[in-house]
Amino acid sequence: MTAVQPPNPNEPPPPERGLTREERGRDISAAQAEVEAETSARKKFLKSMSPRLVLSQADGYPVVLKQFIQFCLIIIYPAWVFAVLVGGAFYFAFYGVFWVLFWPLRAWMKKNRPEEYAASKKK
Amino acid sequence: MGLFTRSAAAEVGVAPSVASPTQTVQATVTTAKPIDKVTSASLDWGYTNFYRYHWAGRADSAAAAANDSMWLMGEVGTNYGGDRDTEDWVSVTKVDLPIGTREFTGGSSTFRVPSWAPASSEPLARWSCRLTVERSGRDVDTRGDFTVVIGTGDVVAEEGPLERVAGSGETVIDIALPSPVYRAGETISGHITLTPQLDLPDGDLAVSWQRQRQSHPLVKSPSAVGELDGRIVPLGKRIPLRAGTPVALPFALPLPPDAAPTATAVHSSLSWFVQARMFYAGFTSHSTERVRRPIVVVNAP
Repeated sequence: MTAVQPPNPNEPPPPERGLTREERGRDISAAQAEVEAETSARKKFLKSMSPRLVLSQADGYPVVLKQFIQFCLIIIYPAWVFAVLVGGAFYFAFYGVFWVLFWPLRAWMKKNRPEEYAASKKK
Repeated sequence: MGLFTRSAAAEVGVAPSVASPTQTVQATVTTAKPIDKVTSASLDWGYTNFYRYHWAGRADSAAAAANDSMWLMGEVGTNYGGDRDTEDWVSVTKVDLPIGTREFTGGSSTFRVPSWAPASSEPLARWSCRLTVERSGRDVDTRGDFTVVIGTGDVVAEEGPLERVAGSGETVIDIALPSPVYRAGETISGHITLTPQLDLPDGDLAVSWQRQRQSHPLVKSPSAVGELDGRIVPLGKRIPLRAGTPVALPFALPLPPDAAPTATAVHSSLSWFVQARMFYAGFTSHSTERVRRPIVVVNAP
């Protein structure tokens, strides 16, 4: 759908417009992108505890504010590590239970649907 | 005149004050007394673009997600980043005004409103002619405003595609409109066709208009899309939905008389939709259906 007429050659061209949030893609720091790109859950939890990721949460703030937020982030860093460890403990506990619970289903899939099983392993 | 107020050194008048795309407007600069020690004087034609932006922090960071979770838990005082309203000047044509012996006494300039000009409206754009006089002393910076209105003849619009916003499509909802272009204050008369794919509980159908402002700044970080929904017009509370039996319902949806026209500017744009939503009766697993069709809103008489 066009909302305006095509530009006239006798007039200045329309100025270029910017990009929306969807067009720009995810707005995250390099440290967070590194963690999100990690496929192994164990490595993801380990990298989530890195001070670099915690400090990068202040990215995009103006100078002075950024340093103040980083100072606050350093203070709460032990709580951050504790939260990640608790999250990890819950994650692996549930993962272990479901891993045992779904053993027969996995074995059936491996035998009867090998292609789908291989595809699910890549996720 | 108060002790600390001072009369404007120059005034910019634009005639006519209301113009359409491709029309020519003229700005006349008058000065109460000649302005001295002038190094340059120029008139800048363009518009002030209003938009929202994400003022600080990264929009998709872990901290932003944590902030949203805390907000959901009731900790509404927390804030990570956040959106703010702002404005930026978009220059279209700049004209230098002649100055003789470093003295500025006034001038004039004509401007052809471009065919792509975004219409003037409070949430999007304010067209002006800005006068800037640079001098050894205090500079002069003033402006004269004019309004750009868009008429049906200024837009080329085709029927936009129907967009399914929510729902599982158990009932196919189609919004049929006689035209894709409407004037502010006009009543949209169309009809909705419901085609149930299976036997379903009775439907509760309503239509409304929706205005959407997208933020797409050149430099700053864009904010999320802002949506404004109009008052709903109920079309039926107990519409029987049987498989393979289409139901057609006419509707009349009035647009607000002061509706800001559809427009695209550099940092933000406004778009309009006719949306329909349908609830199913009872506590069942059928999810709400929501569809919308884009329309173009104009405001020239």
